[in-house]
Amino acid sequence: MKKCYFVALLVILAICTGQGAGHAKVYIDIYSPSSSRLPIVIPAFKNMGSRSDTRSLAANMPRVIRDDLEFSGFFKILDPAVLDEALLRGLTRNEIKWDSLSIIGAEAIITGGFSYKKNKKITAELRLFDAVQGRFITGKKYEGTVDDYRLICHRFSDEIFKKLTGADSVFNTKIAYVKDIGAKKDLHIMDYDGKNSKQITWYGSLTLSPAWSPDGEKIAFTSYKNGNPDLYVKEIYTGNVKNISRKKGINIAPSWSPDGKKIALTLSLNNGNSEIYTVDLTSGKLVRLTHDWATDVSPAWSPDGKKIAFVSSRSGTPQIYRLTLKTGKVKRLTYEGNYNTSPAWSPRGDLIAYAGLAGGTFNIHVVSSDGTFSNQTTFAGDNEDPAWSPDGRFITFSSTRTGRKEIFIMRADGTGQKQITSGRGEKSDPAWSPLLGR
Amino acid sequence: MKQYVKRCMSIFFIITLASCLACAKKQVKDDTTAMQPPAGTAAEQPEAMQEGVLEESDLGSKEFKEITEDEAELRTVFKDIHFDFDDFSLRPDAKETLNGIAEWLLKNTATQILIEGHCDERGTNEYNLALGERRAKSAKKYLVQLGLAPKRISTISYGEEKPLDPGHTEEAWAKNRRDHFLIR
Repeated sequence: MKKCYFVALLVILAICTGQGAGHAKVYIDIYSPSSSRLPIVIPAFKNMGSRSDTRSLAANMPRVIRDDLEFSGFFKILDPAVLDEALLRGLTRNEIKWDSLSIIGAEAIITGGFSYKKNKKITAELRLFDAVQGRFITGKKYEGTVDDYRLICHRFSDEIFKKLTGADSVFNTKIAYVKDIGAKKDLHIMDYDGKNSKQITWYGSLTLSPAWSPDGEKIAFTSYKNGNPDLYVKEIYTGNVKNISRKKGINIAPSWSPDGKKIALTLSLNNGNSEIYTVDLTSGKLVRLTHDWATDVSPAWSPDGKKIAFVSSRSGTPQIYRLTLKTGKVKRLTYEGNYNTSPAWSPRGDLIAYAGLAGGTFNIHVVSSDGTFSNQTTFAGDNEDPAWSPDGRFITFSSTRTGRKEIFIMRADGTGQKQITSGRGEKSDPAWSPLLGR
Repeated sequence: MKQYVKRCMSIFFIITLASCLACAKKQVKDDTTAMQPPAGTAAEQPEAMQEGVLEESDLGSKEFKEITEDEAELRTVFKDIHFDFDDFSLRPDAKETLNGIAEWLLKNTATQILIEGHCDERGTNEYNLALGERRAKSAKKYLVQLGLAPKRISTISYGEEKPLDPGHTEEAWAKNRRDHFLIR
């Protein structure tokens, strides 16, 4: 316990001295629309130990960091091949020939070294330098198993992003999704880049619509595991599952309130007419929010908790609407096309992503939450199930553009589209985790 | 001053390394072991044991059975009925089939039925679950109007989750937009 205090003190000290030495510099202004990409070079990592590099960490570790930074859209990844190996004698400031870096236009450089230890353990040292001033910005040492090397790299990518932009990154977040194998659907969770996927339900039934709790520890979903489409919440790290709603008819489409105390859902009860409700997770109290003979489905809570976007066919075709909880006032947000569904409210509050049908295919669109502006972001195959990253910069979705349904990620403006799943089974319904606690 | 800054930097570096050594080590471990699924069926063990409250669910829908190839008479009566895209109203051909089903059920009063509502793959599965529910309820309502007791007719929606034809053509979609009947 004493040791903990000591470490905490050191960290505080580090923060103070760090700022004292001018570390508050923001290298990349991520809020500026014209922000240019920071040129960064990430040479191969060095094997510092005596054992051989059986997992090709020298190449694989920098690749993870390059992919992270490239996808963020704020970095220009320079080809390390242009860098003369001799210029980089070691990992530290004095072992780098700084003049040569400015020639290739690098404004930042990452050096990394690793060594294999006993019992499949590795240690890794990673450093970030300001290549223009030849200045150390941050450095970390990690210990873990060799299988954790991606995790180590994501951690350091996050550290780089924080130091250079002042903001949190998504590099340590996860994506839950549905995988369909042999007409049975179960939930899986993978890293945001599609790697390290793990199954989290084994019902062998139809299990759908994962939704992360705001604390990132629970997932709400609908499953037919007991016959009817009922709503459950699973604690990811304990495995506990609780039934939240098992009314007659459908119990589907969960969306957590931002404070994590309620879930908005869709119920059809006895008459088959689906309406939006909220259920209080402590008391179990149900509150009905919509009253319309048309189909109302798929609630999505606004980040301030004051509004709910949802789908309704009250105009004759499914469209996106916005309900203000306090007043009960409903406003229609989409007018283009005859089939707009799956609203997802951006964590920043200003945008709502949805799937819209036009010309026979579904694409991801983004509409401002006041309905004044709308933008199509995908253009190939059928694209559905949009969900936002916790920082509101990225969207994950499913697409059939490569034949089978796979999960993709992209920047919110539609650039940087990247397939992150492959292999057996159709994948759908991705849900991006909140920033996960360490 | 310059020396002070330099010293701070090196202290900062050492401290960052030190503190990370202390915490990163544990965190790296934590993160990856947390979601390891327990082997086999044991995975579901915590649910039953730790849930505390009794979980009750209606297994009714599991008791219905598909009509088999050899039940020729039943097969001609309990044919799938079909719907237009994004629509749950009963077409004339669907009503005709339902008339036959009602007639049969009025004669065979011990039989109960389950109506499954299905959709084609287009559109969101959540919206399609709601639509499938309405398709099943449409048929139930019609049968009740023809004199059948509501309690003899159960409904369930599968949305787009159980296509009859896995194809991605208009022909496949038309087959998949259906109510399907099971009996017990």
